[in-house]
Amino acid sequence: MSAPVHLSATTGGPALSAHALTLRGGGRLLLGDFTQVFRPGEMWCVAGPNGAGKTTLISTLAGILRPAAGHVELDGVRLDAWPQARLAQRRALMPQSTHDAFGSSVLDVVLLSRYPYLTGWGWEAESDRAAAQAALESLALGSLAARDVLSLSGGERQRVALAAALCQDADVLLLDEPLAHLDLHHQVDCLTALVRWMQAAPRTIVFSCHDLNLARRFATHALLMDGEGAAFGGPVAKVLTPALASRVFGHPLVLIAQDGYEALVPALRSP
Amino acid sequence: MSGKRAAVIWLALAMCALAVLMAALALGSVQVSPWKVFGALVHAQTEGVTDSSGEIVRTLRLPRAVAGFACGGLLALAGALLQVLLRNPLAEPYVLGVSGGAAAFAVLALAAGAVRWVVDTASFAGALLSIALVLGFARRAFWRGEAQEASPRLLLTGVVLATGWGAVVMLILTLMPDERLRGVLFWLTGDLNGAGDPWPALAALVVALAASVPVAPQLNVLIRGEAFALALGVPAARLRVRIYLVASLAAAVAVTTAGTIGFVGLVVPHALRLICGNDQRMLVPASALAGGTAVMGADLVARTVVAPAQLPIGVVTALVGVPVFLWMLMRGRR
Repeated sequence: MSAPVHLSATTGGPALSAHALTLRGGGRLLLGDFTQVFRPGEMWCVAGPNGAGKTTLISTLAGILRPAAGHVELDGVRLDAWPQARLAQRRALMPQSTHDAFGSSVLDVVLLSRYPYLTGWGWEAESDRAAAQAALESLALGSLAARDVLSLSGGERQRVALAAALCQDADVLLLDEPLAHLDLHHQVDCLTALVRWMQAAPRTIVFSCHDLNLARRFATHALLMDGEGAAFGGPVAKVLTPALASRVFGHPLVLIAQDGYEALVPALRSP
Repeated sequence: MSGKRAAVIWLALAMCALAVLMAALALGSVQVSPWKVFGALVHAQTEGVTDSSGEIVRTLRLPRAVAGFACGGLLALAGALLQVLLRNPLAEPYVLGVSGGAAAFAVLALAAGAVRWVVDTASFAGALLSIALVLGFARRAFWRGEAQEASPRLLLTGVVLATGWGAVVMLILTLMPDERLRGVLFWLTGDLNGAGDPWPALAALVVALAASVPVAPQLNVLIRGEAFALALGVPAARLRVRIYLVASLAAAVAVTTAGTIGFVGLVVPHALRLICGNDQRMLVPASALAGGTAVMGADLVARTVVAPAQLPIGVVTALVGVPVFLWMLMRGRR
């Protein structure tokens, strides 16, 4: 049953894979019999209407939610067979929202993501501090390091959470709506930083996003979920097409092109 | 926060604790010089001369100061842990009904005219019953965690149970013979006067610290939420049950030893957070030290300000705690 550990060597580095995954939520079938490999050097955008199960899928890929059927593997080993501490060094998850009940400095919040690497009495080493500072710098947040997280705006908080996920230094990064609350300028900056981060190792990124045009521009692959059990995965240009997107979102979309730019826009409905 | 900075904070708090301990041993109706206090502690048995001041220090003041330190440490530790568990900086050791269960059973035993050890046993049994009820009713909040702010289900279960216990206490009080009311009143506001052997409480404090200090790095992660903790490899459900049990049992031991001393478990961890930062690795041991010092100091005040009469210690902690808490609340609102 269990695949050989070095299976991924033939396909180019370690990979995250979903096998016959079935997800249910609120009594509905969200995703049925879904099989897909997410390889290093690939940046996947998960898109679909509200309630389609994007968060459920990302949590399941991270191994913090049990699927109704099927399983997820990392390096050919089922997630539930991984020791939790080792797994935390290999995959990071940025949840959709984090709630700060207590004040704390931005640097300390980002440092929490070094937890899988703590040894001894559980205090961070100098190298952990350097990693946190580097993660902040990579998202142009260096100047916020000493600020209290409670004093940050929603967008700043979102970028700090993203920096924390980067700081976990895992080669599979799962991001639930990393662009929420961000203005256009920061959306582009964050995606640029993520592309750089993905290509550096190379690593795998799976993120959910509502902006199909940003996805077309930055992601290498896309996964469209219709929330009724079906999903369409593949290279971004083949998935985020007007035909497929119209079907999944239940609203006609057209692709317009000008000066080498392409954009999916909602079609005007004749009254 | 670095390990070094935490060590400095712990050292400073330990010095404060020692200073207050010396004062608690030296001051009172009979003043004993610090030098004599030291002598009384060192030459416990070898002293041939019958020295009444040495006797007072060893058999009266030392057990009482130790009981105060242990109870305060337990309460503040429980408060710090529950604030993490409920992800609410205003949680306190009694909010989940531990003291209510203890009080109802203790008052029942007092009403029946039971001797001290029966009252203690009854109050501990009441606390355990209350802990079991909360675990039973809110078990889903432990296993799944609650996605939204704080943990309303766990919190509400505890608050409702505490209210129920309060009604039971009132019922017993109204039916109780008048001559026993005064003792009950002291018990309910917290009283170190009847605290006998302080060493079990101190041992409980050591055990509670040993059970919570190793998971303190995980507590830092848990505060940020369920998904975040799981993604970092922290076993959130198991950790929640563990800190709930440690905190509740700590509160139960404290209540059994000295009655319901209020505000220490709320104000001490909260004040430390404001002054020293919110790092549980520093905060868990620091709360125990500072809470112990606070109660030891409050007891010193309680037995000296209106000497030879004594105040219930809970009155002192509340009189200091209420304004401090209100001030912190107003400050936080800005």
